[in-house]
Amino acid sequence: MWNLLIISLAAAAVFAIAALGELIEQRAGILNVGLEGLMLLSGTFGFIAAKTSGSYTLGFAAAILCGAVVGLLHGFFSITLGSNQVVNGMAIWILGFGLTTYVGYPYTGPLGLSPLPKIAGLPPFFLLAVALAAASWFLLYKTHLGLKLRSVGENPSVAEVSGISVVRLRYLSVLLAGVLVGLAGAVYSLVYNPVWSYNYLQGWGFIALALVFFSLWNPFLVVAGAVLFGVLWQMSLYPELLFPGLFSRYIWRTLPFVITIVVFVALSTRWFSLRWGATKPAALGVPYTREG
Amino acid sequence: MHSVERGQVVLEARGISKRFGEVVANDRIDLQLRAGEIHAVLGENGAGKTTLMRILFGELQPDEGEIFFQGQRVRFHSPRDAIQLGIGMVHQERKLIPAHTVVENIILGHPDTGTVLDLSRAEHRIAALCERYGFRLPLQAKVWQLSEGEKQIVEILKALYHGARVLIMDEPTSVLSPPEVERLLHSLRTMASEDLAVIPFITHKLPVVLEHSDRVTILRRGRVVAELETKQATEQSLASAMVGREVTLQVERIEVPIGEPVLTVDDLWARDDRGVLAVQGVSFEVRAGEILGIAGVAGNGQEILSDALAGLRPVERGRVRLAGVDITRVPVLQRWKLGLGYIPTERRDVGSIPDFSLVDNVLLNYYSEPAFSRRGVLAASEARALTGQLLREYSVVAAGPEAPARSLSGGNLQKVIVGRVLSRRPRLLIAALPTHGLDVGAAEFIHRKLLEAKRAGTGIILISEDLDEVLMLSDRVAAIYEGQFTGIVPAAEASKELIGEMMAGLRRGRL
Repeated sequence: MWNLLIISLAAAAVFAIAALGELIEQRAGILNVGLEGLMLLSGTFGFIAAKTSGSYTLGFAAAILCGAVVGLLHGFFSITLGSNQVVNGMAIWILGFGLTTYVGYPYTGPLGLSPLPKIAGLPPFFLLAVALAAASWFLLYKTHLGLKLRSVGENPSVAEVSGISVVRLRYLSVLLAGVLVGLAGAVYSLVYNPVWSYNYLQGWGFIALALVFFSLWNPFLVVAGAVLFGVLWQMSLYPELLFPGLFSRYIWRTLPFVITIVVFVALSTRWFSLRWGATKPAALGVPYTREG
Repeated sequence: MHSVERGQVVLEARGISKRFGEVVANDRIDLQLRAGEIHAVLGENGAGKTTLMRILFGELQPDEGEIFFQGQRVRFHSPRDAIQLGIGMVHQERKLIPAHTVVENIILGHPDTGTVLDLSRAEHRIAALCERYGFRLPLQAKVWQLSEGEKQIVEILKALYHGARVLIMDEPTSVLSPPEVERLLHSLRTMASEDLAVIPFITHKLPVVLEHSDRVTILRRGRVVAELETKQATEQSLASAMVGREVTLQVERIEVPIGEPVLTVDDLWARDDRGVLAVQGVSFEVRAGEILGIAGVAGNGQEILSDALAGLRPVERGRVRLAGVDITRVPVLQRWKLGLGYIPTERRDVGSIPDFSLVDNVLLNYYSEPAFSRRGVLAASEARALTGQLLREYSVVAAGPEAPARSLSGGNLQKVIVGRVLSRRPRLLIAALPTHGLDVGAAEFIHRKLLEAKRAGTGIILISEDLDEVLMLSDRVAAIYEGQFTGIVPAAEASKELIGEMMAGLRRGRL
């Protein structure tokens, strides 16, 4: 039972760190639906770097760098070229899926490094995720930079006439997001499940994306939602631990995705937009071009 | 920033030109703004006022010309450069973030805001500004909770907080009730006198200009056609200079016998898009040959009321009868057939489909008529003939019946929309802000057409934010405030002061 919770928190760390990255860029108005692709890429390159060098540090560094580069690429399409963010997000997913299948194939198998120690019996990256949530909240709601980021996501032209460079802030947001999502990819492939195989991420990136909406753009609710999804995922692996005989593991395995779908349907209802509409960044996914 | 003397030129534009494609918005404009004066810039829509102001604020780059600030040549690459020199702007459309608080909106982007926000210190500074200029505002409220007038004050405070010495205001009076206008102008006077702030002030409300400005610059088709001391101007001279010909500011009223009621509304309630009850128990009737004016400041429920009457929005409670038939829950097409006509506020989004030709736009009101649709096949030649006739009758400037609606100016498009509705000879016409944003000439034309329809026995609801227009045309005047009528007054008893105070909710008339 305790072990189940611990391993759930390890899974939650991956969801939470990725979703926090996505949350920051969504607050600035950038929607990256290609989270899955970004995590596949950073996770794979981090895995390759760690396996060939034998160093966790190099593995994480490679993953974060990869996340930052791909994040900026998405930024370039979304901010500078002003293209449809959903379309180029899907492109990033397809790119990640295809490229990692090709590049990662020779490295199929376990990482072969000794596992990282726990801190006070808890997975270290879960503690990091909680700290990152607090830091994101402080950044977004207690600092001027955060106010600017949120303003850019609510109404870029207002930000512009307030003397803020929308382009610079949106690039900053995709860079921060890329770093966090890249880190999350490595937490999965180096720590949570350090075995490379074809499409090893199994849709976790999409769950993290859903989590951002699910949390109503609140960093602490991101962590809470991540724990919920982490537990559900573990239930799908070891259903007999809690409810022996209730449902097959395949139903448990489907549950996070079903919840995701239900949440998205609820979010798109009129009821939701009347009740909670103000929490969604008003300019989310809308390209901004200056006049004149 | 060094201090300036009263009367000294603070901001100067020399030879500013700006083109948008073929259109010359500003043509070699010179403008001098002095410390301590309220300088009105007047012009019809499309005269280039807003373009000029946005250039002075660094939002647009001029194609030619130079800007001088306190005698120094400056170049603005973005509003940031202008703000740093002490230029603030209050836009016509609000530049605020609805989801953020008043304080957050005001401090956004201020260099002294620091890394970590100190909201209480900022709030004290803002409260001090409010005190000084006589503004009252809930500083902790989210901006979406405020009225339009309050939002405008937030923008003024924001400019002042960011150290504005020059305050540019684009149409500041358009969203305010007359008493609010008085209060705002009082605050602006305080700024001009104490602070040596320069306040250029753009409006097409002539009485306001005459009463409250020191100097006036008049623009027409992108050029400065006059610059004078307000003392030397009259309402008539300003209007003529703006339009470029003599204009009649007053339309002759016509008295026609008032007939049977065509529309009866009992205790009508309706919700806005956010689900708030925006119309709360409105009752009135409109008779044949009568114009009922509904005066109100924007956002007091008049759009919701007109949409509900036209069938575009569900009615929460109450009853609407058109010529005796209950139409409370009747679909739009049925209402048209019963003789309802609607001129919506949004002429480009609701009133027309911009990419469609004028013929197709006219057909949108006629497609179900047997003469224009035979077993579902449209009669193209009839539709073209009707459109051509409308274009002639309403002297619309357009390339022809096949021209896309988007190619027409606001005034010409509105003429097509008005002609389309009136050619059906409606029993009841709902005209929502029919002349909003139109120039004096086009507005005058539409006023005459409304009066012609009245003479033909149409009952008309005229919804307007322009009190002068309502008083000039209406037989009875209702004022709407926060979703309720504060009174319905016969034209003979409707003074500007009375209706103004009713619009502000300060006074109630008979219902």
